[in-house]
Amino acid sequence: MALEMRLPVARKPLSESLGRESKKHLVVPGDTITTDTGFMRGHGTYMGEEKLIASVAGSVERVNKLICVKALKTRYNGEVGDIVVGRITEVQQKRWKVETNSRLDSVLLLSSMNLPGGELRRRSAEDELAMRGFLQEGDLISVSFTLHSSIFMFALGQGVLVQVSPSLVKRQKTHFHDLPCGASVILGNNGFIWVYPTPEHKEDDAGGFIANLEPVSLTDREVISRLRNCIVSLATQRMMLYDTSILYCYEASLPHQIKDILKPEIMEEIVMETRQRLLEQEG
Amino acid sequence: MKETPLSNCERRFLLRAIEEKKRLDGRQTYDYRNIKISFGTDYGCCIVELGKTRVLGQVSCELVSPKLNRATEGILFFNLELSQMAAPAFEPGRQSDLLVKLNRLLERCLRNSKCIDTESLCVVAGEKVWQIRVDLHLLNHDGNIIDAASIAAIVALCHFRRPDVSVQGDEVTLYTLEERDPVPLSIHHMPICVSFAFFQQGTYLLVDPSEREERVMDGLLVIAMNKHREICTIQSSGGIMLLKDQVLRCSKIAGVKVVEITELIQKALENDQKVRKEGGKFGFVESMANQRITAFKMEKAPIDTSDVEEKAEEIISEAEPPSEVVSKPVLWTPGTAQIGEGIENSWGHLEDSEKEDEDEGGSDEAIILDGMKMDTGVEVSNIGSQDAPIVLSDSEEEEMIILEPDKNPKKIRTQTISATQVKAPSKKPVKKRKKKRAAN
Repeated sequence: MALEMRLPVARKPLSESLGRESKKHLVVPGDTITTDTGFMRGHGTYMGEEKLIASVAGSVERVNKLICVKALKTRYNGEVGDIVVGRITEVQQKRWKVETNSRLDSVLLLSSMNLPGGELRRRSAEDELAMRGFLQEGDLISVSFTLHSSIFMFALGQGVLVQVSPSLVKRQKTHFHDLPCGASVILGNNGFIWVYPTPEHKEDDAGGFIANLEPVSLTDREVISRLRNCIVSLATQRMMLYDTSILYCYEASLPHQIKDILKPEIMEEIVMETRQRLLEQEG
Repeated sequence: MKETPLSNCERRFLLRAIEEKKRLDGRQTYDYRNIKISFGTDYGCCIVELGKTRVLGQVSCELVSPKLNRATEGILFFNLELSQMAAPAFEPGRQSDLLVKLNRLLERCLRNSKCIDTESLCVVAGEKVWQIRVDLHLLNHDGNIIDAASIAAIVALCHFRRPDVSVQGDEVTLYTLEERDPVPLSIHHMPICVSFAFFQQGTYLLVDPSEREERVMDGLLVIAMNKHREICTIQSSGGIMLLKDQVLRCSKIAGVKVVEITELIQKALENDQKVRKEGGKFGFVESMANQRITAFKMEKAPIDTSDVEEKAEEIISEAEPPSEVVSKPVLWTPGTAQIGEGIENSWGHLEDSEKEDEDEGGSDEAIILDGMKMDTGVEVSNIGSQDAPIVLSDSEEEEMIILEPDKNPKKIRTQTISATQVKAPSKKPVKKRKKKRAAN
């Protein structure tokens, strides 16, 4: 068995490699944001001694008269229209408790699920007993919050879960992406990212409960592991995660072996290349 | 913070490994983790480390009036606290169940077993007795809190010295530490808890479960014993059904383990005693090893790259045109071919590993005959990387000529540490490879 050893190297501060022109206004809890009292205070701030003081560590955002501090590392705050990937922790009467990396447990009500037989069926006692047949403790699901408290949800079959900070997932129109490299990815707003092999055909009738347990081919597995390592390296370098950045990072990582992507130097190299490509694409 | 739930595959992995008698950290089923005991400067203060689980124990005493129905006995008070730094799941409001369970178990183990002679704690019957208070703090949770806590409690009690008291008639004199040496507590025996974790409805058991193993276990059996093979407390939790012979077997194992642990405790106490008597340094500062990596650090030195372009132009313009000899590839076996003759090996004595690398490099040349063009890239690591770290000795300088179909050959000098895998382009003159070994 071959072992790899390396000497400790002093880590470069990220700002060197970023070289950004626009300096964000970063604050830590207790910092004064402004002494001007004309502003309305938003999340992450409080008023003390005639000054607006930050209560979380993050960057200051200003929209007209509203000042708020967006925390860099935080638990997930749910919003309507978000997609999250969660794990069932408990099966209770008429509902499931779901863990979504937020401050409080999320709850999935039985009444909000589309059961076979049409929408208007009342939830009977047999449905309650059959709850465990649908979702058990430890299952992974992907849920989206919509306005009328009915949700679109399906259980996830085979794939890899990557946990990153929720602040790194960019808000986009859609969070389900089928990447051209041969895998699909669900970017949950709560920081849980699900990478899975692209299904050949979409099944709508089963309602997404039946997991596909056929063995996944080796090439698909390699693609998925490579994607997972890319996502981890992007998260370590604090890059925003969205389909383009993940795709560019994947392409930048192709010359390296999958296990080498996690080494610090190669991680920096790949992410720097990704960053450059993204800048080129924008400008 | 809530505890993050364990994923299904991790759970399955742990259970399958246990079925095959394998544990995550490589221990056997009946092995304990490393136990380390260190003492503080005060008497009665100790830290016990069971693997990564750490418990701090502190004993203090006070003169109080005794309980009404026990006028001649001292008072013992135990308190275990799960500090928030032990695990993210421990929060001020949330820990009640586990905390109550651990405290009850500790009390039963230490108080009901009468390991401490409470009668000796009496100073004046009915008026003044010693109240001994044992505070345990969990500093890090990596499984099996109860064992570590019981060891910490008994070690702290053995280590503790109370101030000397003398009674003359009605007068009670409490001597300070300077006037008279403090007196140790009178301890009859040392009860120690041993935990057994059960899996798959009682078929598999493990001693000293780690935190991951605790999460997937079905039930827990705790046996508190002393080295005289007397059971002080036994408790089974988790709702598993145990057979009689299983419990007997566990008690036998516990007997063996307790003897070992008691020896360890005695040795630690003796060592500390010796150090204090000889006047050496004692305390946490001395006994906790400095955890530091003292090794060379790789320095990143900036390299001046301002004139690289010019240098490259120079090299390109001065390079010789490729030689015209085109040798036909010879096919040894499908997939292995040889173009031309290699140069005479200029190294004196090759080590085996180097030779293997050499061969590997050679067999990677997948050559296709019959005029088919093949896309081969030359893989050279760190080409043109401007901030390559400076490598220490043992570097091999390779001079490689990369041949392109229609261009002049570019001579590139690279510094590599390991042998690079170079695929030769097909149908081109032989690539020259001169390895100059740096002076070893």
